[in-house]
Amino acid sequence: MFIASSRGSRAFRPALLPTSSPVARRQPASPEVIALLTSYGQQTARPLTLSRLLSFGNPVTQDSILSSASYALSEIPRRLSRRIRSLESLPFIVGTNPHVSRTLDAYRRSFEWLATYPAVRTLRDNADFATQLEHLVHSHANDIPTMAKGFQECYRYMTPGAINEFLDTAIRNRIAVRLIAEQHIALSHALSEYGHQGKHDGVVDMKCSPADMVRACSVIVSEMCEATFGASPEVVIDGHVDSTFAYVPVHLQYVLTELLKNAFRATVEKHWRSHGLSSASDLPPVLVTISPPPRIPGIVRPSYMSIRVRDEGGGVSPHNMARVFSYAFSTAKRSAQHADEDAGGGPYAAQQIGGNAATMEVGAKGDAGLFSEMTGKGIQAGVGTLAGLGYGLPMSRLYARYLGGSLDLFSLDGWGTDAFLKLRCLDEAGDVEI
Amino acid sequence: MSALHFYQNRQMELFAAKETKRLTLRQLIFFGRSMNEERLVKSANYVRSELTVRIAHRLRDMQALPYIVVTQDEVAKVYDLYWTAFDKFRSFPPITTMAENIKFCTFVRGLLNEHASVIPALSLGFTFSSPYMPSDQLDSFMSRMLVSRISRRVLAEHHIALTEDFIKGSTKGRPGRGALTRNASTHVGIIQTELSPKASIERCVDLLRKYPSSVIYRDPENPDSKNVPCPRVVVDGHVDTTFAYIREQFEYIIFELLKNALYATSYRHRNETTPPEIRATISTGSEEVQVRISDQGGGLLEPDISSPSDLFSFSATRNMMRMEDDRIEALRKTILSPHGMRATVDEQLERWHERDPENVASTGPLPRLGIGLPMSNIFATYFGGSLRLVSLDGWGTDVHLKLPKLGTKLEGVEV
Repeated sequence: MFIASSRGSRAFRPALLPTSSPVARRQPASPEVIALLTSYGQQTARPLTLSRLLSFGNPVTQDSILSSASYALSEIPRRLSRRIRSLESLPFIVGTNPHVSRTLDAYRRSFEWLATYPAVRTLRDNADFATQLEHLVHSHANDIPTMAKGFQECYRYMTPGAINEFLDTAIRNRIAVRLIAEQHIALSHALSEYGHQGKHDGVVDMKCSPADMVRACSVIVSEMCEATFGASPEVVIDGHVDSTFAYVPVHLQYVLTELLKNAFRATVEKHWRSHGLSSASDLPPVLVTISPPPRIPGIVRPSYMSIRVRDEGGGVSPHNMARVFSYAFSTAKRSAQHADEDAGGGPYAAQQIGGNAATMEVGAKGDAGLFSEMTGKGIQAGVGTLAGLGYGLPMSRLYARYLGGSLDLFSLDGWGTDAFLKLRCLDEAGDVEI
Repeated sequence: MSALHFYQNRQMELFAAKETKRLTLRQLIFFGRSMNEERLVKSANYVRSELTVRIAHRLRDMQALPYIVVTQDEVAKVYDLYWTAFDKFRSFPPITTMAENIKFCTFVRGLLNEHASVIPALSLGFTFSSPYMPSDQLDSFMSRMLVSRISRRVLAEHHIALTEDFIKGSTKGRPGRGALTRNASTHVGIIQTELSPKASIERCVDLLRKYPSSVIYRDPENPDSKNVPCPRVVVDGHVDTTFAYIREQFEYIIFELLKNALYATSYRHRNETTPPEIRATISTGSEEVQVRISDQGGGLLEPDISSPSDLFSFSATRNMMRMEDDRIEALRKTILSPHGMRATVDEQLERWHERDPENVASTGPLPRLGIGLPMSNIFATYFGGSLRLVSLDGWGTDVHLKLPKLGTKLEGVEV
């Protein structure tokens, strides 16, 4: 249905919302898609490095943007084909779950559209392509919450280990696809809208400031926390607050938001437990310490920005510690009635997963603005909103590790938690595979 | 080691084939409460047979090492000490009376003293053996040796303390020995039943502050300069926590960690009038007591190690600093000294106390032996706890010490 005769009508249309019966959506892919998938499946994997991705922007020219388009056009469908294969390999009963099958449909549709997209030969072609690619990215904004919901319903049919492994791979794949797509979109905008010539870093901010990002995220998380709990702790930033490093801001934003959400919620709940609801005493602050890599002679190895988020929220018990990085684990109490309201991963998951694009998606599809939806649900679902589906920590760790960093949690059971984030400085990370 | 030695091995193998009877801290406490002669004699026989088996296990473990490793001077020395100890224990007659028990205690104490050089000897021997063993095998061997050594000392010293307490006719309020035990609280044998981490931390801080020339950084180019000010240590968290533990071990770990934090902080902030404070946070959870020590001493990014946990390793492959000349020299001296190294706070205080004050001014802190962190790690794991180093590179270090709260965990896996 998306095969069009003229380029003008080759617009990407996201999947319709599910109105058909479950049987209809259990249908196999069309023969065309099967043939395409087979041919992509036969291609050997090429390792891709970050420096290759960034090379299209250094400098941005007409030629480089066309190479970038062809790179995206060959690389994204190849990665989508792997995603489709792995969804198709799930146990049949899991595949029939409406959330899982909706995800598979969406992937097939996107794959087909990209795999049959004609070559991009002119800047005008590219402007079209970039716009459509943007729509495609937005249409996938809810993939993770949707899959999350699906796997939550499938816990009887797969082992936790198998679910974790599937989701890890799926999310890594998704991070890569978004990085490639958003890089092309960013460069295309730079060239067409601003007539930019010269070096453009695209999705990477060469002077990303962790302190600024912490401040920005704290504002949002404070609002959520106030809306849900009626109180929120202060954030104190220390260490080298003026330092900057090269990083993908949306990734940093996602991870910091998750870490701050956890710290805020733990701080408020611990405070309630020890002082009661009507307590007038102050909440202990959340302390964020920032340290750029020191330059030490004799050390030639990857350098990392270190960020420690320390709270006095009571910590995590050793029993829960073991599960804290697995999916579908959440310390927030959940009931059947709240589960419905959380369909799609809860508003926070939708907002945060995938950064800004997802935010727009929520705004576009919802009846109200992001914030009112968030607070509205916050009141209905109580604690459920801040705690979401328990994807925050495992996803954050995947984001941190994706570009060579790490995320570790150190709990002082009964007292508080240190979340310890180390992120590669991307100006020296050209070798990182994406 | 001769052919005779080879054929004598059969005797040892009989003991090495026996299982050890591992204990929990709680068992040590319960057994030690309400002592009488009969129980003490029973305790003596348990110690006698258990130590024989545990030493036999160590001998077997050493016999499986590469030949070239055990023929190392330092390792060979340890092997000989163990073999002699095994022979003596094996031939010590069963204990039936209190008088025999007192003889046994004297015998055990003598052996403990003879073995005072084992830690530095093993450390140096295995640093030199690093090329012949993969570092993970080397470290797991060292861990078995040292955990077993701690366990044997705990059994022996606990039994000796119980005997002494019994002779004094009291199991409570016994005035302690050494500088650290001034405010003796409730104890059973060598175990404090209400150990306060806060009190221990403060005691260690007070002691460390008394010896700034041994603890705090001083500019070697400028020996006349005054010491950099000693950073403050703040204790927060669950400061009222108490739990049952062996105070000597707990305070050794805390002392080492604070010593490192004080030195790193004073070095990094050597040009400031007020160095940033060190924060020790105590927490009590459902199962563990924890202490987190956070400093702003710059972290643990070092050219000679690739990760902070390399500082726990005895292998020179993982930690090149082990091959530094002054370290090797200092370890050699320690092996030869009659005091050896028992890995306690007291012995370090004694060493610092004995230093010629004039000499100290020009030499600054004693050369580091590289024993404090690996030994602290071993002590932490002995009853199922853990120690982790986290480096906020360029800013500071967090050390997380976790110890089981209830004393229900068995001694290390292999003793």
